[in-house]
Amino acid sequence: MNLRQLIQPDADWLDTPTPQRVAWVALTACAGLAVYGFTVGFWRDPLMGAYVAVKLPLLIAFTLACNGLLNGLLGLLLGTGLGFRQSLLALLTSFALAALILGSLAPVTFFLAWNAPPPDAAGAGNAHSAHLVTHTLLIGFAGITSNIHLHRLLAVKSPTPAAATATLLAWLGGNGFLGAQFSWILRPFFGSPRLKVEFLRPDPMTGNFYQAVWGSIDHLSGGYGLPVLSVIVLSLILPIAKAIQLNHQTTPRP
Amino acid sequence: MISPEIHSTVQPPPLEAPLPQKLDLKTLFEALLRRPHALIPRLAEPDHGATGKFAMMALISILLFGFVLGCFAKHEQLWAAPAKITAGLIFSGLICFPSLYIFATLAGARVAIFQLAACLAGALALAGLLLLGFAPAVWIFAESTDSFGFMGTLAIGSWIIAVFFALRFLGSVIFATGGTQKGPLAIWSIVFLLVTLQMTTSLRPILDRSNLLLTQEKKFFLQHWFETMDQSLKPQLAEKSPETPSEASPSSGGRNPFHEN
Repeated sequence: MNLRQLIQPDADWLDTPTPQRVAWVALTACAGLAVYGFTVGFWRDPLMGAYVAVKLPLLIAFTLACNGLLNGLLGLLLGTGLGFRQSLLALLTSFALAALILGSLAPVTFFLAWNAPPPDAAGAGNAHSAHLVTHTLLIGFAGITSNIHLHRLLAVKSPTPAAATATLLAWLGGNGFLGAQFSWILRPFFGSPRLKVEFLRPDPMTGNFYQAVWGSIDHLSGGYGLPVLSVIVLSLILPIAKAIQLNHQTTPRP
Repeated sequence: MISPEIHSTVQPPPLEAPLPQKLDLKTLFEALLRRPHALIPRLAEPDHGATGKFAMMALISILLFGFVLGCFAKHEQLWAAPAKITAGLIFSGLICFPSLYIFATLAGARVAIFQLAACLAGALALAGLLLLGFAPAVWIFAESTDSFGFMGTLAIGSWIIAVFFALRFLGSVIFATGGTQKGPLAIWSIVFLLVTLQMTTSLRPILDRSNLLLTQEKKFFLQHWFETMDQSLKPQLAEKSPETPSEASPSSGGRNPFHEN
């Protein structure tokens, strides 16, 4: 198996979810995320980089492990015809592609972190903000690309385009919902300059990602949290919907 | 890349083999998920033995999901929440079953009572399996949040998704047995959903802690939800156990998440 097979899978890629294939895809995802994760934490401290190199693959592993049963059930019930192992392979393939994209960008992000003002310098606040925005954009790009890729895989296997879309959206919703909370539990990733470097915060299980984000949006928008949140959600959904529509037009049916 | 040439060589799937004579748990599980249309006529045959197995699947799944919900308040809710949710679901199923038979017949289905009972048990088993799929995620939030509003929304949301698939299965039962109209099942679905949602209030407290196992106060579920939406478990626990530290949690807005990312 090589990387090209993962990036440009054949139509029968999901037909043989052998343990070797699943393990190879999982290892590829871990490697890509670990390399990229190191560059995410490196700006704060090399030790932080090492922590994030471990935590980023863990984030995906925990999310897929917790939602494994649900993903398999939804794959079957929504009519893709994929079994549990095929669903796992499809999702792992998608995460592995995101990991490859991010891993391939790791030398660039490492270079950026290397050249940014250190956390104890005068301009550290700006550097931290730029660091956050850059990585958020890169992760967003990798996430959208890998999900479009996943939809293409599903569209080939599904008897109807609607089944592929419904399954993708169900998986996206379930894994995104839980993954966000795991990212909260496994914080910090970027490492605020004002807080000490540690693997997990002292109270990792305290708090809820969604309530905290809602509180911040509502506070920053001066009480107009709902309209601002609607705009953010729409700006995320529209490009995905457009890409899915495009997939339907280009995916050949048997 | 997935090319049209490769795709055009894909053969149509082979014809499905009939379900085996003995319907064991594994077969029923797989038939519910993959081949409901093969399962429905099989349930019309006598001595299929599926009703009890479906009921057992539903009971075990709901008990486990209830235990996960009980992890939110812990203490007595670890056993009370699963017991109440399971009892509530059995009660809802029993009181809605007569109307299901009448409404299914109104829709044009020619289904025997015992077949419909097996199908309802199958639908509840399917809902239970989906709830079991949601359980790990719900547990993560049960351990992380104190908000009744968030936890309640999560639990009700999981139930609505699970019951959607259960009702879809019942819909396929009605159409597979000669039903032609959607209206009666749609009305029955609303009735069943409302009954199960009212159970969350009639059997309260499920998420909260209380010295009373059940309350005698009558209340409509929407009113109860509205009253408890912005409440939190922590202040109540702090009142009950003064040694509990009362530092502000991120969920109560005491800390900006982006300051520690």
